[in-house]
Amino acid sequence: MNRTGFVYDERYLKHITFDGHPECFQRLEAIVAGLQEAGLMEKLVPIAAEPANQKWIEAVHSIHYIVRIEDACLMGLPDVDHQDNSICRDTYDIALLAAGGVLKAIDQLMAGRIDNAFCAVRPPGHHAETEKAMGFCFFNNVAIGARYLQQHWGIEKIAIIDFDVHHGNGTQQIFENDSSVFYYSIHEHPSFAYPGTGRDFEQGSAEGEGFTLNTPILPGRGDMDYRKKLTTDMVPAIKRFEPEVLLVSAGFDGHSSDLMSGVNLSAEGYKFISETLMNLANRYTGGRLISVLEGGYNLDILSSLVADHLKVLIEQ
Amino acid sequence: MFVTESMNTDLVTIGPDATLDQARLLMAEKNIRHLPVIDESEKLLGIVSDRDMRSAQPSSLLGAEEYEATMAQVMGRRVEEIMTRDPLTISVFYTLQDTLLVMQKRKVGALPVVDEHGRLKGIMSTRDLLRAFVNIMGIGEPGSLLCILVKDQPGQMKKIVDIITEENVSLGSVLVARYWDKDKRAVFPYLMTTNVMTIKEKLIAQGFELLNPMTWYIDQLPQKRP
Repeated sequence: MNRTGFVYDERYLKHITFDGHPECFQRLEAIVAGLQEAGLMEKLVPIAAEPANQKWIEAVHSIHYIVRIEDACLMGLPDVDHQDNSICRDTYDIALLAAGGVLKAIDQLMAGRIDNAFCAVRPPGHHAETEKAMGFCFFNNVAIGARYLQQHWGIEKIAIIDFDVHHGNGTQQIFENDSSVFYYSIHEHPSFAYPGTGRDFEQGSAEGEGFTLNTPILPGRGDMDYRKKLTTDMVPAIKRFEPEVLLVSAGFDGHSSDLMSGVNLSAEGYKFISETLMNLANRYTGGRLISVLEGGYNLDILSSLVADHLKVLIEQ
Repeated sequence: MFVTESMNTDLVTIGPDATLDQARLLMAEKNIRHLPVIDESEKLLGIVSDRDMRSAQPSSLLGAEEYEATMAQVMGRRVEEIMTRDPLTISVFYTLQDTLLVMQKRKVGALPVVDEHGRLKGIMSTRDLLRAFVNIMGIGEPGSLLCILVKDQPGQMKKIVDIITEENVSLGSVLVARYWDKDKRAVFPYLMTTNVMTIKEKLIAQGFELLNPMTWYIDQLPQKRP
């Protein structure tokens, strides 16, 4: 049995989006309730979150952008950059706490106190670009984690695997010229799903050419294509890259009952994804894997999918 | 949607009295294959293409001495002598649709755009046209595509647009396509948001069918249905 860390903080509930917004605080309540119900809570190593030092946010985002988010929250604006990115006065602080939660998990992992971790954080991060809030995301939690691993812990090569049903345009943009961070994303085809990027010909640029890999999945293709593509696209790419740590953007919004997408994944499909990721980690990174919550908007399904995901992280 | 909004106006041109040598250097320097020839009043007289240039040059099979001598002679000749006169043009009042159809019909890759006095105003290439259509479809900006099956009768689109408007979401584009059943149509609104959940719920509640685009596609394959 692995020592699996679990980042959660009740303050994550204080990022309050407008009524009827899918990225609501009830998502985390559902996840916690689901883990308790599945009897998994006692098997997890709780990790307390702390706000990230601004220095680490600046490792990814420009200072102007950071201040812009802070100002928008202080002024009580309803959103930033687009109406999708609903904010409240506390959003800035909670976004720092979300990134900070990932950094705490990294500290525990690198100190050898846990084997892997899941970060139940919000707001999510993978759509956030260097200078732009998008798709409910403000600070790119996973990207900040990758830079922290490199600059604080001296890790050279990191692979980010993103199985949220939407393409992680932010993470791609942040690392597209960088050959030290490999970005792999599998998502619903951009002609159908937000944000309209992540086509197979987007493969990084300059020094980062060949260090971004996108697998778009056509609507309705579900488990079948995910199984095939993860095996033929992701596994060989990660094997070739030889990362030292795996970071995962874990989105649970591709399930057939989640109205945010149309790829029709089943719980079994998600289990296959989790198992494939743990196989990769056990094989290539000594089990070092940090999974960070992104999307997942059907509350009932979200809680059981996260519980299934954690079972694999604990047991495999 | 007129060509004037999308055409290239950063023009490289040459006068009719310029030498072929000048034309050759200009085309090489600017990396272009078509050079419009205009007079002092900017009236379009013709076009010199890289193909026109090549056919004016001596054969590469000639001996070096003969080649150089002929080349020197040819390169001193005037552009007017080899240009294509009265090339196919389009007017500044052409729409993108007109341009699309004329390019398809005449199989050309670029067209000079002229005003009512025949003065050159721009060049419209397939590349410019592609950029314009990416813009028209709204796909250069983040968004999500809905696939909705509707009855082919008036008022359907209004219901869809009302739901989208209620949720305060902007539309990037709306495409409407033929569907197999004669009395049905497939509507594809491109929404400038990731938040499609409430809109989908409301559409379903109003009795619209959300299409699985892949089923739709497979149903359209000829071997499936004659």
